[in-house]
Amino acid sequence: MLLEKFKDEVEEILSRYPVKRSALLPLLNLAQREEGFVSEPAMRDIAKVLELTPPQVFETVTFYTMFNLKPIGKFHLQVCKSLMCALVRSDDVVTWISKKLNIVPGQTTADNNFTLSVVECLGSCGTGPMMQVNDDYYEQLTEEKVVRVLDDLARDGNCHLKSGPFMFPTTSGKSR
Amino acid sequence: MPTPSTTTETVTLTIDGQTATVPKGTLVIEAARQVGVMVPHFCYHPKLTPDANCRMCLVEIEKMPRLQTSCSTQATEGMVVKSSSSVQAQEARKMVLDFILANHPLDCPVCDQGGRCDLQDFSHEYTATSSRFQELKRVFPKEYFSPLIETQMNRCVQCMRCVRYCDQIMDVKALAPTGRGTLTEIKAFGAHELDCEFCGGCVQICPVGAITSRLSMYEFRPWMLKRTDSVCGYCGDGCQITFQTKDNALIEINSTQGSGRNNGDLCARGYFGYHVSEHPDRLTLPLIRKGDEFQSVQWEEALELVGQQLLDVKAKYGADAIGGLISGRCTNEDIYVFQKFMRGVVGTNRIDSSARYGHLNGVHALQRVQGTHRWSVSFEDIESADTLLLVGTNITETNPITGLKVKEAVKRRGAKLITIEALNPAIGSISNIVNLAQQHLGVKPTGFSTAILGLLKAVVEQSILDAELQGKAPAYFNAISARLQALSWDAIFAQTGLASDLFTEAAQVFGQGKKVVVLVGPGVLRSEGGFGMTMNLMDLLLITGKLTNPGCGLAPLAEENNDQGAFEMGGTGAVLPGGTSLGDPAVRENLSKAWGRPIPDTPGSSLPQLIEDAQQGKLKALFVVGENPLASLPPSSGIHSALEKLDFLVCQELFLTETAQKAHVVLPACSYAEKDGTFTNTEGHIQSVRTAIDMVGESRPDWEIFSALSVMMNNPMEYGDVKEIGKEIRNLLPGTRTLGPAPLPAQPDSSAIARYVTTDYQRDIAPRYQLPVNDAATDEITLQVSQSLFHSGKFSRKAKGLLQVEATGKIYLHPEEAARRGISDGDMVKVSNSLGEVLTPVGLRERIPQGVATFPEHFDEEIRQLLPYKVDPETQVPYYKLARVHLKKVVGS
Repeated sequence: MLLEKFKDEVEEILSRYPVKRSALLPLLNLAQREEGFVSEPAMRDIAKVLELTPPQVFETVTFYTMFNLKPIGKFHLQVCKSLMCALVRSDDVVTWISKKLNIVPGQTTADNNFTLSVVECLGSCGTGPMMQVNDDYYEQLTEEKVVRVLDDLARDGNCHLKSGPFMFPTTSGKSR
Repeated sequence: MPTPSTTTETVTLTIDGQTATVPKGTLVIEAARQVGVMVPHFCYHPKLTPDANCRMCLVEIEKMPRLQTSCSTQATEGMVVKSSSSVQAQEARKMVLDFILANHPLDCPVCDQGGRCDLQDFSHEYTATSSRFQELKRVFPKEYFSPLIETQMNRCVQCMRCVRYCDQIMDVKALAPTGRGTLTEIKAFGAHELDCEFCGGCVQICPVGAITSRLSMYEFRPWMLKRTDSVCGYCGDGCQITFQTKDNALIEINSTQGSGRNNGDLCARGYFGYHVSEHPDRLTLPLIRKGDEFQSVQWEEALELVGQQLLDVKAKYGADAIGGLISGRCTNEDIYVFQKFMRGVVGTNRIDSSARYGHLNGVHALQRVQGTHRWSVSFEDIESADTLLLVGTNITETNPITGLKVKEAVKRRGAKLITIEALNPAIGSISNIVNLAQQHLGVKPTGFSTAILGLLKAVVEQSILDAELQGKAPAYFNAISARLQALSWDAIFAQTGLASDLFTEAAQVFGQGKKVVVLVGPGVLRSEGGFGMTMNLMDLLLITGKLTNPGCGLAPLAEENNDQGAFEMGGTGAVLPGGTSLGDPAVRENLSKAWGRPIPDTPGSSLPQLIEDAQQGKLKALFVVGENPLASLPPSSGIHSALEKLDFLVCQELFLTETAQKAHVVLPACSYAEKDGTFTNTEGHIQSVRTAIDMVGESRPDWEIFSALSVMMNNPMEYGDVKEIGKEIRNLLPGTRTLGPAPLPAQPDSSAIARYVTTDYQRDIAPRYQLPVNDAATDEITLQVSQSLFHSGKFSRKAKGLLQVEATGKIYLHPEEAARRGISDGDMVKVSNSLGEVLTPVGLRERIPQGVATFPEHFDEEIRQLLPYKVDPETQVPYYKLARVHLKKVVGS
């Protein structure tokens, strides 16, 4: 069980909030970090800890595009579809990726390498169109750039075109 | 809606030119309703807190910028509101409708809500014939939702009423609004089907056809339905229901918002359990036993036979060789005529009713201490209480609507809740009242009496006592204190597992309460020592000075819909109509004068007494009306041999029950949906039952059969219709005149209290104030056969809707208890004790304490053979709901 495995971390998260259910998002993050997606057993466990019903956890998971309800590939391509990026043709980015990988949003490639999603604003409006791949941002995308990112990732598991994200350091020195 | 403050401060405002004066804090939409201005809305509902998400109720308010949502704006002095007189508001509402209709399908012809749909009505009102939207409508893939509730999410207007109802009123939280924006969809959990209390609240509260009942799907159009307001026939809560019938078929049941004692809320039994009356197994003709078989006959033949047999037995063995047993599901009129028939025509007081199974413990305790046979509180007092104590209620499953009153008090009005329950706080698919408790004293079902004594001990130790009463009756207080001092906290801990500080805290909370209601449920009333425990709770209220305060009192919960009426109508032998004692010659004389028939002065007898006498051959004939003692009582009660020894057994029934199968004559009675009359609910509220469908086959109302029999026995008691009986009852019993919306609860009688605290308490204080003997072996489990939310007695097993939710019995254990014994969900186990052994599947529930197993009483055909049987020495209540058993996994399962 997730909560037994990360007992200390769960306790630290719970200690941050005066109201238990406030810990819902951090616990979901923890669950997704562990499994790559939020599984049903994880939702049930979290519900139990926070004294919520499983549907209450489920509804929260579905509200945020950052949470995955299904297992995802090694690289999660999250293309921003919000207004700013849409104005600079984010739907073209989706088309380029679809063409290159032969998947549509919500699908994973057969080799389990890439999952494509369209997501809400990622706060990088000045540099759209953009996408987030796992924890990294790729901005001001062009077709060439997208192809190169996908090739590099497939080949090396890394791509130097990434530009973020920039995290604030925490008191412990590690970034969260 | 926030409750307007109790002060009478009012504000005056103008709405569409009309002046309204309303209590301060009233919402503009409610103020408008009071002057006849209907502001259209979807998400607003008087029961729920304002959400203001649908934007349909926008109104123009002078001196306020922009339009305001009238559902979330409080009326203030001098406010000028324009609803239908505001062009701006009308335009805004049109736009809201335009947005809703951009996605709402135009499938009204196949939608069950068509004809009573808010969206349809408003669309008509605002003639939304054209749209700015040409895009495709959103389409959700159709998904199976649940066996009883259907969702059609394309029709959803996302008002979130269902989700808020499920959370705020029911405390179940089973519905999840998934996704966001226009793609929000109501789901259960992931792809799982809905698992909840199935109260039907979401169906009733949905303003459109997004959530509907599967039991009546596609069977009606609202304008085809005939409405009949009546009262639910399942539990003692006495909820108002409306039968919706089409061509004499029951199509659905609902309850009008704001009406009845239930305020429009229902539970699964009330909402989905209505098919009993139409079950194909209903008896349609009288049956007479010919050897091993039954033969259908006409009424004349059956009545003649019954009348003759009863006269023969009476002539040969005397009237007291005949006994009667009537169900608390019958109407007051039925029970009244039955006891009049038995006392006046047959000539015996040997009758009993299902109130004997537990409700009598509560009634007798009330009568003995405060001199009333009804609660001295009402449902309103529960809602406005500041402190509630629940003892052995499992209220969600036994009396769900009374449970809603407790939830309202605790969740919305900030009452403090103390629970002494055999439940763990745990989230499950149905709500759990102990999750809301500030002070939870969790015990095993055998530990209630010790826990009550612990609470009393803490109260005495803290000196939370009524000094005035103590001055008047020092001996009573001293006797209680002395006995409680003799009990050690260690011994209490040993039996309950609860330390003294928990009791101390609970006692302090209890003592601080100004309006305190104590609810007592079947865990106390139906288990050994039930009467003593109820008396001790009366003592608790009395010594803390709460009992006589307005809004305070003890509220024993009735299991069957008319248990209270059965007592009040004289359905228990030793008590005459009106709760008066048979032993009082003056009362007897008055009654025989009124009836024009002598009332026998022989003692009445209880069901356990009837069983014993039948076994000994002293009882020769038994008239059973709507009761099924063979299926209710365990074999250890001796009921089987008792019935076999009878010379003559008559059953008046809806179905050929286990008991009816043994009868010599079976008379077909009609159900509550087919007759008029009244039920008295657990709080003593008398309400009208009305005919919704024609009588099935040749079945007749119970009272009519007794009346016909009296003619056959040459001692006619004739009534033209049920109203005549009602009139006779009302003339006889002044207390039953209060048929109507709000009876005042009974007031405790000070002379009764004075008698109790001076002498009467001495009679049984010794046995009541000692700890029960705890002789449990370590590997034994306490088995509790208990009420499930989805059934009521064996009766509801004929309801196809309820069987979809729960169709079989399982023994339920805590997951850890099961794991420790190597048992997993669904395994077969052998449950055994000295009385026998039974195989049953296992279910797991976290709310069940360790060391305890529960089994739904509705499916106890086999498991009841393990139940020992004991009779209360004082109230003659039979106790048979608890057993100690061993559990063993059946290898290979």
